[in-house]
Amino acid sequence: MKPAEFGYHRPCEVSEAVALLAGLGDGARVLGGGQSLMPELNARRITPVHLVDITGIGSLRGARRVAGGVRYGAATTHRMVEDGLVPDAGGGLLARAAAGIGHRAVRTRGTLGGSLAYADPAAEWPVVFAALDATVEVCGARGVRSLPARELPRGAFRSGLATDEIVVAVEVRSLPQGRWWGLHKTAGTAGAYASSLAVVLFDTDARGRLEQVALWLGAARETPVRLPATELLLTGRSAAGLDVAAVLPGVAQDLGTVDAAPDDAARHGLRVHAATVCRALARAAPVVSAAAGEGAGAP
Amino acid sequence: MNEVSPRLRVNGAEHTVTVPARTSLADLLRDRLGLTGTHLGCEEGVCGACTVLVDGLPVRGCLTLAATCDGAEVVTVEGLTGADADRLRAAFSREGALQCGFCTPGMLITAYDLVRRRAAGSPEEIRAGLGGNLCRCTGYQALVRAIASAAGESAGEPGTRGGAEPGTRTGESHPRDRA
Repeated sequence: MKPAEFGYHRPCEVSEAVALLAGLGDGARVLGGGQSLMPELNARRITPVHLVDITGIGSLRGARRVAGGVRYGAATTHRMVEDGLVPDAGGGLLARAAAGIGHRAVRTRGTLGGSLAYADPAAEWPVVFAALDATVEVCGARGVRSLPARELPRGAFRSGLATDEIVVAVEVRSLPQGRWWGLHKTAGTAGAYASSLAVVLFDTDARGRLEQVALWLGAARETPVRLPATELLLTGRSAAGLDVAAVLPGVAQDLGTVDAAPDDAARHGLRVHAATVCRALARAAPVVSAAAGEGAGAP
Repeated sequence: MNEVSPRLRVNGAEHTVTVPARTSLADLLRDRLGLTGTHLGCEEGVCGACTVLVDGLPVRGCLTLAATCDGAEVVTVEGLTGADADRLRAAFSREGALQCGFCTPGMLITAYDLVRRRAAGSPEEIRAGLGGNLCRCTGYQALVRAIASAAGESAGEPGTRGGAEPGTRTGESHPRDRA
């Protein structure tokens, strides 16, 4: 199908975009790379009166190093992260996450800010930026504000953005040398949304036991969730010896599901999440410093 | 602003076309420029038949508004030229990598991108790279063989790697990234 008619606006500045959104009100939607919005428009599941295309705003594209981290413009594409055209504050984590999003032809257009604003519970960036405790900068008619990435998603496909606000940038503190990251996505087919997505960060002691574990899960609830009981369970253990059975009690406690639940689907889902956590741990890699990716624009 | 007039360079020729703002790039190419080689299947980004190159990068023609392509360089299957494109066409023909032909334009564009990025080094890599293109005749074995064959010839070609167009290979920045 084809989209219904809409008024199209392509501002060149953030201030212009925000003024347009404030003036147009509830009938307007923000268009980023369009890789989630366009299928909705084509199927006429949504019929906005106006589209405000923010991909013409040059200042939103690209990334630059800031003290202790990297600032990513909202219109930075998944491909730019995948290909190392921007620095990787996750020491390889961001590039891995980006490479798993959709297909190449989707990653060439889809954007970081769009993914955050769209707040798909199964998307990569909300859970990755939550795990990294990133800060999101948004701009609206009343000015600029910053909030933790963990607080931006408010529900499935619902973000904490006001109708006149757009995501401007995401700032991520660089993971220190010595820290490890792991990401695993379980999905039905290549390019599909995750049925489970685990992101784990940890240190190791001299004997390879896990310390300072941070574990986040996507596609399990309406918004990314932290798994504190599983973090505790993993602490002091060696990643090598962990299987699904070992991790399952922690994940069950964190998700409030019991492995003996009468609902087959709930039990299956729990096991998928536990297996995804195990694979993220098993394939974890040490942080590599991101020397590459300088000079790809400056938001 | 319900009409837009993007200025596009399509297969080397300049066009400025006035279309309703809701027009996708694929519809503009097919309905206004007569380039019906670009096929529309699902129109929700799943099948990949509408894949074209915009500024050297593969995109879904159905998930890209023509309006957002102002100033862009577009290459469709009709305009896919050069040694790698010729090798791919020959290999598709030799290996029987098409049956009904509906998916072929998107397959050729995706395969071209894989070969140019040196991302078609093994059958596994090719299968992963074709993940976003569906062939409902299920002729995937022949497609993988054809792309592997063309990629092998391309890799053996001295100087090809360094001679690729800007922006078409992994790790290279593209002017639009800096826009």
